[in-house]
Amino acid sequence: MTNEQIALIEAILFVSKDPLEPGRIMEFLQVTDAEEFEKILQTMEKEHFLDRPERGLMLKRSGGGLQLVTKPELHDPLKDFFTIKQATKLTLASLETLSIVAYRQPTTLAEISDMRGVNSTGPVKNLLQKKLIRITGRKKVPGLPALYATTQEFLIYFGLNDMSELPSLEELTELFEEKEQPSLFK
Amino acid sequence: MIETPAYQVQTDFFEGPLDLLLHLIRKNKLNINEIRLSEITSEYLSYLQGKMGINPSRESDFLTTAATLIYIKSRSLLPKPENLSEESPEKQLLHTLIEYEKIQKISKMLQDMEYTERLLWRRLELNENFTNREYTLQEVSAFQLAELFFAIVKKKENEQFLYVSSKNYSIASKQAEITGLLKENGFLDFSAYVKTLDSIEEILVSFFTLLEMIKRHLLIALQESLFGTISLYPNAPGEPSN
Repeated sequence: MTNEQIALIEAILFVSKDPLEPGRIMEFLQVTDAEEFEKILQTMEKEHFLDRPERGLMLKRSGGGLQLVTKPELHDPLKDFFTIKQATKLTLASLETLSIVAYRQPTTLAEISDMRGVNSTGPVKNLLQKKLIRITGRKKVPGLPALYATTQEFLIYFGLNDMSELPSLEELTELFEEKEQPSLFK
Repeated sequence: MIETPAYQVQTDFFEGPLDLLLHLIRKNKLNINEIRLSEITSEYLSYLQGKMGINPSRESDFLTTAATLIYIKSRSLLPKPENLSEESPEKQLLHTLIEYEKIQKISKMLQDMEYTERLLWRRLELNENFTNREYTLQEVSAFQLAELFFAIVKKKENEQFLYVSSKNYSIASKQAEITGLLKENGFLDFSAYVKTLDSIEEILVSFFTLLEMIKRHLLIALQESLFGTISLYPNAPGEPSN
């Protein structure tokens, strides 16, 4: 791969506002060897960005795509420069709802409310608005309730490359039981 | 409802609110077999007799909790098959509890992930923050409405008015006009509406009418984004305010 091509990759990533699929860039550059491309990306990731403290950007993989983002340690000064007071964060209710959708998808509002023990219409609406979840279909039960699942935006929002990066329910259960066992006798 | 304290159980083995008892039994801190529900019930009945009138909320709370206790106890008294069925209420409760704790664990994990991700800035992040791409409608205060109004008046000041004759505008007639427009269109774009008006005088009267209508909860002002246009909606009863 030529220097020019590498420069072009960086430029494409700089201009794009959404994460770009590596496949699309490969196709454009007419690179067929995925392994070679991956190697180039890794070199770029390391030598262009991570190993150079004088650079403010880094390569990030989220939602199955590539994206240039600022380095985490620059968060505070950036916030000061652009005078942004408080970034909106998800509420606890939204996070709870989202975790149910993430692990139970596709799931219905009734199931979510049942698990949380409170009506969850509000958080579900909020998450739909934020495009972190979407309706994938209707459950074939009386009333045909909507089924909710997480979106690509969800992956990007939480910095995940794909759903497999979330710990599995089994792993979580183990984590949970390890912690829960002793506390029964406290 | 909340003001009246819940009924307190007072027996040899337990003293406190009934839900605490249920909680402890669910948590296996207390054995249901050691608890005499008849004692709790008769205590409660004599407590009720000493009370003037009943409080439906407190009484129903007691009934629900007591019924659950009786159910758990009756189950524990019945001979059990060797293999415990998954359907026992204790297990179900425990299951829900574990499920809920799992959810909270995942929530915590997502929260941490959210935090780390928030440290990374993406292109156009600023635009999103400033223009609020999500179009969540926010209710607007009278103050913001006034600000927008003055901005519009300033714009109008530079325009030439064809002043033919002075008309008298009344709040009552304006209100009828606005109500009519709202009925017709469902909503009213404040800036667009003001542009159709002829004179500063008319704008002023319209504005006062709007304020008056908001004050009387006849309509609701919503703004799509900061500095965005303000839309007016009839304040339909029962509709959730966003």
